[in-house]
Amino acid sequence: MTELERALARLDVEWPATPAFDLRRPARRQAWLLALAAAAVAVGVAFAVPQSRAALLRVLHLGGVTIERVRTLPPAQERALASTLGTPVGPAEAEALLGRPFGVDAKLYRSGALVSALLPGPVVLTELRTGIGPAVLKKVVATSTDVRPVRVRGAPGVWIAGEQHAVFAPPLPPRLAGNVLVWVRGPITYRLEGKELTLERAQQLAAGVRDR
Amino acid sequence: MDEVALVAAAQRGGEDAFAAVVRPHLDVAFRLAYVITGSAAEAEDAVQDALVKAWRALGRFRAGEPVRPWLLRIVANEARNRRRTAGRRLRLALRAAHEPPPAAAEPVDRQALLEALHALPEDAQAVLACRYLLGLSEQETAATLDVAPGTVKSRTSRALERLRELYD
Repeated sequence: MTELERALARLDVEWPATPAFDLRRPARRQAWLLALAAAAVAVGVAFAVPQSRAALLRVLHLGGVTIERVRTLPPAQERALASTLGTPVGPAEAEALLGRPFGVDAKLYRSGALVSALLPGPVVLTELRTGIGPAVLKKVVATSTDVRPVRVRGAPGVWIAGEQHAVFAPPLPPRLAGNVLVWVRGPITYRLEGKELTLERAQQLAAGVRDR
Repeated sequence: MDEVALVAAAQRGGEDAFAAVVRPHLDVAFRLAYVITGSAAEAEDAVQDALVKAWRALGRFRAGEPVRPWLLRIVANEARNRRRTAGRRLRLALRAAHEPPPAAAEPVDRQALLEALHALPEDAQAVLACRYLLGLSEQETAATLDVAPGTVKSRTSRALERLRELYD
Protein backbone atom coordinates (compact mmCIF):
# COMPACT_ATOMS: atom_id res chain seq x y z
CA MET A 1 0.00 0.00 0.00
CA THR A 2 1.38 3.39 -0.95
CA GLU A 3 1.55 6.40 1.33
CA LEU A 4 -1.46 7.92 -0.41
CA GLU A 5 -3.53 4.76 0.02
CA ARG A 6 -2.65 4.66 3.71
CA ALA A 7 -3.65 8.31 4.06
CA LEU A 8 -6.98 7.56 2.38
CA ALA A 9 -7.63 4.57 4.59
CA ARG A 10 -6.93 6.70 7.68
CA LEU A 11 -9.02 9.65 6.61
CA ASP A 12 -11.45 9.17 9.49
CA VAL A 13 -14.44 10.59 7.70
CA GLU A 14 -17.26 12.13 9.70
CA TRP A 15 -20.11 9.75 8.80
CA PRO A 16 -23.71 10.46 9.75
CA ALA A 17 -24.92 8.15 12.51
CA THR A 18 -26.42 4.93 11.24
CA PRO A 19 -30.19 5.08 11.87
CA ALA A 20 -32.03 2.33 13.71
CA PHE A 21 -33.48 0.26 10.90
CA ASP A 22 -36.61 -1.79 11.34
CA LEU A 23 -35.22 -5.26 10.76
CA ARG A 24 -38.47 -7.11 11.29
CA ARG A 25 -40.53 -4.92 9.04
CA PRO A 26 -39.08 -6.27 5.75
CA ALA A 27 -40.79 -9.59 6.32
CA ARG A 28 -44.03 -7.95 7.35
CA ARG A 29 -43.97 -5.44 4.53
CA GLN A 30 -43.45 -8.29 2.11
CA ALA A 31 -46.47 -10.07 3.55
CA TRP A 32 -48.48 -6.89 3.08
CA LEU A 33 -47.35 -6.51 -0.48
CA LEU A 34 -48.51 -10.00 -1.32
CA ALA A 35 -51.88 -9.42 0.31
CA LEU A 36 -52.28 -6.07 -1.34
CA ALA A 37 -51.32 -7.34 -4.77
CA ALA A 38 -54.20 -9.76 -4.48
CA ALA A 39 -56.43 -6.90 -3.48
CA ALA A 40 -55.81 -4.99 -6.72
CA VAL A 41 -54.59 -1.73 -5.29
CA ALA A 42 -56.11 1.46 -6.65
CA VAL A 43 -53.50 4.06 -7.41
CA GLY A 44 -54.90 6.39 -10.04
CA VAL A 45 -55.14 9.57 -8.07
CA ALA A 46 -51.43 9.70 -7.35
CA PHE A 47 -50.91 10.71 -10.92
CA ALA A 48 -53.63 13.33 -10.88
CA VAL A 49 -51.39 15.65 -8.88
CA PRO A 50 -48.47 16.23 -11.25
CA GLN A 51 -47.10 19.29 -9.47
CA SER A 52 -46.24 17.18 -6.46
CA ARG A 53 -44.64 14.24 -8.24
CA ALA A 54 -41.21 15.82 -8.41
CA ALA A 55 -41.23 16.16 -4.67
CA LEU A 56 -42.33 12.61 -4.05
CA LEU A 57 -40.18 10.81 -1.52
CA ARG A 58 -41.92 7.56 -0.86
CA VAL A 59 -45.17 5.90 -1.77
CA LEU A 60 -46.98 3.31 0.25
CA HIS A 61 -50.08 1.63 -1.08
CA LEU A 62 -52.44 0.09 1.37
CA GLY A 63 -55.68 -1.16 -0.07
CA GLY A 64 -57.42 1.73 -1.77
CA VAL A 65 -55.22 4.27 -0.05
CA THR A 66 -52.01 5.69 -1.42
CA ILE A 67 -49.73 7.36 1.08
CA GLU A 68 -47.01 9.63 -0.22
CA ARG A 69 -44.22 11.33 1.60
CA VAL A 70 -43.49 14.72 0.07
CA ARG A 71 -41.14 17.53 0.97
CA THR A 72 -43.84 20.18 0.65
CA LEU A 73 -47.51 19.73 1.31
CA PRO A 74 -49.65 20.66 -1.72
CA PRO A 75 -52.29 23.37 -1.28
CA ALA A 76 -55.26 22.06 0.71
CA GLN A 77 -58.17 23.51 2.62
CA GLU A 78 -59.19 22.87 6.20
CA ARG A 79 -62.83 21.76 6.19
CA ALA A 80 -65.16 20.35 8.81
CA LEU A 81 -65.36 16.57 8.66
CA ALA A 82 -69.12 16.67 8.24
CA SER A 83 -68.76 18.70 5.06
CA THR A 84 -66.56 16.05 3.46
CA LEU A 85 -68.99 13.17 3.60
CA GLY A 86 -70.85 13.64 0.32
CA THR A 87 -74.54 12.94 -0.22
CA PRO A 88 -76.80 10.76 1.97
CA VAL A 89 -77.19 7.17 0.83
CA GLY A 90 -79.30 4.26 2.05
CA PRO A 91 -77.88 1.02 3.46
CA ALA A 92 -78.86 -0.96 0.35
CA GLU A 93 -77.07 1.41 -2.02
CA ALA A 94 -74.02 1.40 0.26
CA GLU A 95 -74.04 -2.40 0.28
CA ALA A 96 -74.24 -2.42 -3.51
CA LEU A 97 -71.20 -0.14 -3.68
CA LEU A 98 -69.15 -2.08 -1.15
CA GLY A 99 -70.32 -5.58 -1.94
CA ARG A 100 -71.23 -6.04 1.72
CA PRO A 101 -73.06 -4.11 4.46
CA PHE A 102 -71.36 -1.05 5.93
CA GLY A 103 -69.44 -1.77 9.13
CA VAL A 104 -71.56 0.23 11.57
CA ASP A 105 -75.22 1.16 11.85
CA ALA A 106 -75.30 4.88 11.18
CA LYS A 107 -76.47 7.47 8.70
CA LEU A 108 -74.43 6.86 5.58
CA TYR A 109 -73.03 9.19 2.94
CA ARG A 110 -71.49 8.59 -0.43
CA SER A 111 -68.76 10.47 -2.29
CA GLY A 112 -67.70 8.67 -5.44
CA ALA A 113 -66.84 5.12 -4.42
CA LEU A 114 -66.38 6.11 -0.77
CA VAL A 115 -69.07 5.35 1.77
CA SER A 116 -68.78 7.18 5.10
CA ALA A 117 -70.47 7.64 8.43
CA LEU A 118 -69.94 10.35 11.03
CA LEU A 119 -69.24 8.87 14.47
CA PRO A 120 -69.00 10.68 17.81
CA GLY A 121 -65.74 12.53 18.33
CA PRO A 122 -66.23 13.58 15.60
CA VAL A 123 -64.64 10.73 13.72
CA VAL A 124 -65.41 9.67 10.17
CA LEU A 125 -65.43 6.02 9.21
CA THR A 126 -64.96 5.53 5.49
CA GLU A 127 -65.09 2.28 3.56
CA LEU A 128 -63.91 1.66 0.03
CA ARG A 129 -64.02 -1.49 -2.01
CA THR A 130 -60.40 -2.01 -2.92
CA GLY A 131 -59.58 -1.99 -6.61
CA ILE A 132 -62.59 -0.04 -7.87
CA GLY A 133 -63.19 3.66 -8.16
CA PRO A 134 -60.76 6.36 -7.12
CA ALA A 135 -58.13 5.83 -4.47
CA VAL A 136 -57.95 7.99 -1.39
CA LEU A 137 -54.61 9.70 -1.56
CA LYS A 138 -52.75 10.75 1.53
CA LYS A 139 -49.90 13.18 1.19
CA VAL A 140 -47.79 13.70 4.24
CA VAL A 141 -44.95 16.00 5.19
CA ALA A 142 -41.78 13.97 5.21
CA THR A 143 -40.08 15.31 8.27
CA SER A 144 -42.66 15.32 10.99
CA THR A 145 -45.70 13.23 10.17
CA ASP A 146 -45.77 9.88 11.90
CA VAL A 147 -46.64 7.09 9.47
CA ARG A 148 -46.54 3.87 11.37
CA PRO A 149 -47.42 0.33 10.30
CA VAL A 150 -49.89 -1.17 12.77
CA ARG A 151 -52.12 -4.21 13.09
CA VAL A 152 -55.86 -3.77 13.44
CA ARG A 153 -57.14 -7.03 14.93
CA GLY A 154 -54.55 -8.87 12.87
CA ALA A 155 -55.17 -6.97 9.63
CA PRO A 156 -52.45 -4.76 8.09
CA GLY A 157 -52.91 -1.09 8.77
CA VAL A 158 -51.21 2.28 8.90
CA TRP A 159 -51.51 5.00 11.54
CA ILE A 160 -50.90 8.53 10.23
CA ALA A 161 -50.64 11.23 12.85
CA GLY A 162 -48.82 14.35 13.92
CA GLU A 163 -48.16 17.26 11.63
CA GLN A 164 -50.62 18.27 8.97
CA HIS A 165 -51.21 16.08 6.01
CA ALA A 166 -53.65 16.33 3.15
CA VAL A 167 -56.18 13.95 1.73
CA PHE A 168 -57.35 13.76 -1.86
CA ALA A 169 -60.70 12.07 -2.25
CA PRO A 170 -62.09 12.90 -5.68
CA PRO A 171 -64.29 14.53 -6.67
CA LEU A 172 -63.77 16.75 -3.60
CA PRO A 173 -60.85 19.21 -3.60
CA PRO A 174 -57.81 18.42 -1.39
CA ARG A 175 -58.26 19.09 2.31
CA LEU A 176 -56.11 18.99 5.40
CA ALA A 177 -56.71 15.78 7.32
CA GLY A 178 -56.75 14.79 10.96
CA ASN A 179 -55.16 11.68 12.41
CA VAL A 180 -56.01 8.59 10.42
CA LEU A 181 -56.08 4.85 10.90
CA VAL A 182 -56.30 2.82 7.69
CA TRP A 183 -56.62 -0.93 7.53
CA VAL A 184 -57.51 -3.54 4.97
CA ARG A 185 -59.53 -6.65 5.51
CA GLY A 186 -60.69 -8.75 2.60
CA PRO A 187 -61.97 -6.62 -0.26
CA ILE A 188 -62.58 -3.49 1.84
CA THR A 189 -60.25 -0.68 2.87
CA TYR A 190 -61.34 0.97 6.13
CA ARG A 191 -60.37 4.43 7.27
CA LEU A 192 -61.02 6.27 10.51
CA GLU A 193 -60.21 9.98 10.70
CA GLY A 194 -60.51 12.52 13.46
CA LYS A 195 -58.60 15.64 14.45
CA GLU A 196 -58.26 14.50 18.07
CA LEU A 197 -58.20 10.79 17.28
CA THR A 198 -55.57 8.76 19.12
CA LEU A 199 -54.30 5.39 18.01
CA GLU A 200 -55.77 3.79 21.12
CA ARG A 201 -59.22 5.30 20.46
CA ALA A 202 -59.00 4.40 16.78
CA GLN A 203 -58.24 0.80 17.67
CA GLN A 204 -61.24 0.77 20.02
CA LEU A 205 -63.48 2.13 17.28
CA ALA A 206 -62.04 -0.30 14.74
CA ALA A 207 -62.89 -3.14 17.09
CA GLY A 208 -66.54 -2.12 16.82
CA VAL A 209 -66.58 -2.15 13.03
CA ARG A 210 -68.05 -5.24 11.38
CA ASP A 211 -65.21 -5.95 8.99
CA ARG A 212 -65.31 -9.73 8.75
CA MET B 1 -25.20 -19.81 15.09
CA ASP B 2 -22.93 -18.99 12.15
CA GLU B 3 -23.91 -16.96 9.10
CA VAL B 4 -24.71 -20.00 6.94
CA ALA B 5 -27.09 -21.38 9.57
CA LEU B 6 -28.66 -17.96 10.10
CA VAL B 7 -29.25 -17.53 6.37
CA ALA B 8 -30.87 -20.97 6.22
CA ALA B 9 -33.12 -20.05 9.15
CA ALA B 10 -33.99 -16.73 7.51
CA GLN B 11 -34.82 -18.55 4.26
CA ARG B 12 -37.31 -20.62 6.23
CA GLY B 13 -39.06 -17.39 7.21
CA GLY B 14 -37.24 -16.53 10.43
CA GLU B 15 -37.47 -12.80 11.00
CA ASP B 16 -35.03 -12.90 13.92
CA ALA B 17 -32.55 -14.84 11.81
CA PHE B 18 -32.88 -12.30 9.00
CA ALA B 19 -32.21 -9.49 11.47
CA ALA B 20 -29.15 -11.33 12.79
CA VAL B 21 -27.86 -11.88 9.24
CA VAL B 22 -28.07 -8.23 8.14
CA ARG B 23 -27.40 -6.40 11.41
CA PRO B 24 -23.56 -6.68 11.30
CA HIS B 25 -23.54 -5.02 7.88
CA LEU B 26 -25.84 -2.07 8.51
CA ASP B 27 -23.12 0.48 9.25
CA VAL B 28 -21.25 -0.17 6.04
CA ALA B 29 -24.51 -0.47 4.10
CA PHE B 30 -25.71 2.91 5.34
CA ARG B 31 -22.37 4.55 4.63
CA LEU B 32 -22.29 3.07 1.16
CA ALA B 33 -25.79 4.43 0.50
CA TYR B 34 -24.67 7.79 1.88
CA VAL B 35 -21.68 7.85 -0.45
CA ILE B 36 -23.91 7.10 -3.43
CA THR B 37 -26.88 9.34 -2.60
CA GLY B 38 -25.04 12.15 -0.81
CA SER B 39 -27.92 12.43 1.66
CA ALA B 40 -28.42 10.76 5.03
CA ALA B 41 -32.21 10.78 4.61
CA GLU B 42 -32.00 9.23 1.14
CA ALA B 43 -29.46 6.72 2.41
CA GLU B 44 -31.78 5.70 5.22
CA ASP B 45 -34.67 5.16 2.82
CA ALA B 46 -32.42 3.31 0.38
CA VAL B 47 -31.19 0.90 3.03
CA GLN B 48 -34.67 0.32 4.47
CA ASP B 49 -36.04 -0.45 1.01
CA ALA B 50 -33.00 -2.57 0.22
CA LEU B 51 -33.73 -4.64 3.32
CA VAL B 52 -37.19 -5.39 1.96
CA LYS B 53 -35.68 -6.40 -1.37
CA ALA B 54 -33.06 -8.51 0.38
CA TRP B 55 -35.80 -10.31 2.28
CA ARG B 56 -37.66 -10.96 -0.96
CA ALA B 57 -34.50 -12.16 -2.69
CA LEU B 58 -33.42 -14.38 0.16
CA GLY B 59 -34.86 -17.49 -1.47
CA ARG B 60 -32.43 -17.09 -4.35
CA PHE B 61 -29.40 -16.54 -2.11
CA ARG B 62 -26.88 -19.33 -2.63
CA ALA B 63 -25.99 -21.20 0.52
CA GLY B 64 -22.43 -20.64 1.68
CA GLU B 65 -21.93 -17.34 -0.16
CA PRO B 66 -20.94 -14.35 2.01
CA VAL B 67 -23.86 -12.08 2.87
CA ARG B 68 -22.04 -8.74 2.90
CA PRO B 69 -21.30 -8.33 -0.85
CA TRP B 70 -24.79 -9.60 -1.71
CA LEU B 71 -26.45 -7.14 0.64
CA LEU B 72 -24.20 -4.27 -0.42
CA ARG B 73 -25.03 -4.90 -4.07
CA ILE B 74 -28.73 -4.59 -3.28
CA VAL B 75 -28.14 -1.44 -1.23
CA ALA B 76 -25.97 0.11 -3.96
CA ASN B 77 -28.61 -0.61 -6.62
CA GLU B 78 -31.33 0.94 -4.50
CA ALA B 79 -29.19 3.98 -3.72
CA ARG B 80 -28.19 4.42 -7.38
CA ASN B 81 -31.84 4.22 -8.46
CA ARG B 82 -32.75 6.90 -5.97
CA ARG B 83 -29.91 9.12 -7.13
CA ARG B 84 -30.92 8.67 -10.79
CA THR B 85 -34.57 9.37 -9.98
CA ALA B 86 -33.49 12.57 -8.29
CA GLY B 87 -31.42 13.44 -11.37
CA ARG B 88 -28.23 13.82 -9.37
CA ARG B 89 -24.68 12.75 -10.10
CA LEU B 90 -22.51 11.07 -7.50
CA ARG B 91 -20.87 13.83 -5.54
CA LEU B 92 -19.08 12.98 -2.34
CA ALA B 93 -19.82 15.40 0.47
CA LEU B 94 -17.62 13.99 3.20
CA ARG B 95 -15.84 15.83 5.96
CA ALA B 96 -12.89 14.81 8.06
CA ALA B 97 -13.66 14.11 11.69
CA HIS B 98 -12.72 17.01 13.96
CA GLU B 99 -9.95 15.20 15.79
CA PRO B 100 -7.31 13.27 13.83
CA PRO B 101 -7.11 9.58 14.72
CA PRO B 102 -4.35 8.67 17.20
CA ALA B 103 -2.57 6.54 14.62
CA ALA B 104 -2.13 9.45 12.23
CA ALA B 105 1.46 10.32 12.96
CA GLU B 106 2.27 11.56 9.45
CA PRO B 107 1.32 15.13 8.57
CA VAL B 108 -1.58 14.55 6.18
CA ASP B 109 -3.84 17.45 5.36
CA ARG B 110 -7.01 15.40 5.61
CA GLN B 111 -9.33 18.14 4.45
CA ALA B 112 -7.17 18.81 1.40
CA LEU B 113 -7.11 15.11 0.63
CA LEU B 114 -10.90 14.96 0.88
CA GLU B 115 -11.23 17.99 -1.35
CA ALA B 116 -9.00 16.33 -3.92
CA LEU B 117 -11.15 13.20 -3.65
CA HIS B 118 -14.31 15.29 -4.17
CA ALA B 119 -12.77 16.77 -7.32
CA LEU B 120 -12.28 13.38 -8.99
CA PRO B 121 -14.61 12.05 -11.71
CA GLU B 122 -17.63 10.10 -10.51
CA ASP B 123 -16.22 6.62 -11.22
CA ALA B 124 -12.97 7.45 -9.46
CA GLN B 125 -14.73 8.82 -6.38
CA ALA B 126 -16.90 5.73 -6.16
CA VAL B 127 -14.09 3.21 -6.42
CA LEU B 128 -11.83 5.01 -3.94
CA ALA B 129 -14.67 5.51 -1.48
CA CYS B 130 -15.52 1.82 -1.62
CA ARG B 131 -11.94 0.60 -1.33
CA TYR B 132 -10.46 3.01 1.21
CA LEU B 133 -13.22 4.85 3.05
CA LEU B 134 -15.55 1.89 3.41
CA GLY B 135 -12.80 -0.73 3.47
CA LEU B 136 -14.47 -3.00 0.89
CA SER B 137 -12.43 -5.70 -0.78
CA GLU B 138 -11.93 -5.68 -4.56
CA GLN B 139 -14.58 -8.37 -4.90
CA GLU B 140 -17.05 -6.45 -2.76
CA THR B 141 -16.32 -3.24 -4.63
CA ALA B 142 -16.86 -5.04 -7.93
CA ALA B 143 -20.21 -6.38 -6.72
CA THR B 144 -21.21 -2.99 -5.34
CA LEU B 145 -20.29 -1.05 -8.47
CA ASP B 146 -21.54 -3.82 -10.75
CA VAL B 147 -18.27 -4.10 -12.64
CA ALA B 148 -15.65 -6.83 -13.08
CA PRO B 149 -12.93 -7.16 -10.41
CA GLY B 150 -10.34 -6.29 -13.06
CA THR B 151 -12.17 -3.04 -13.70
CA VAL B 152 -11.99 -2.21 -10.00
CA LYS B 153 -8.25 -2.76 -10.10
CA SER B 154 -7.67 -0.56 -13.14
CA ARG B 155 -10.08 2.16 -11.98
CA THR B 156 -8.43 2.22 -8.57
CA SER B 157 -5.02 2.60 -10.10
CA ARG B 158 -6.10 5.45 -12.37
CA ALA B 159 -8.06 7.13 -9.60
CA LEU B 160 -5.08 7.06 -7.24
CA GLU B 161 -2.87 8.51 -9.93
CA ARG B 162 -5.31 11.37 -10.53
CA LEU B 163 -5.78 11.91 -6.81
CA ARG B 164 -2.03 12.17 -6.31
CA GLU B 165 -1.85 14.87 -8.99
CA LEU B 166 -4.65 16.82 -7.37
CA TYR B 167 -3.36 16.41 -3.83
CA ASP B 168 0.28 17.15 -4.51
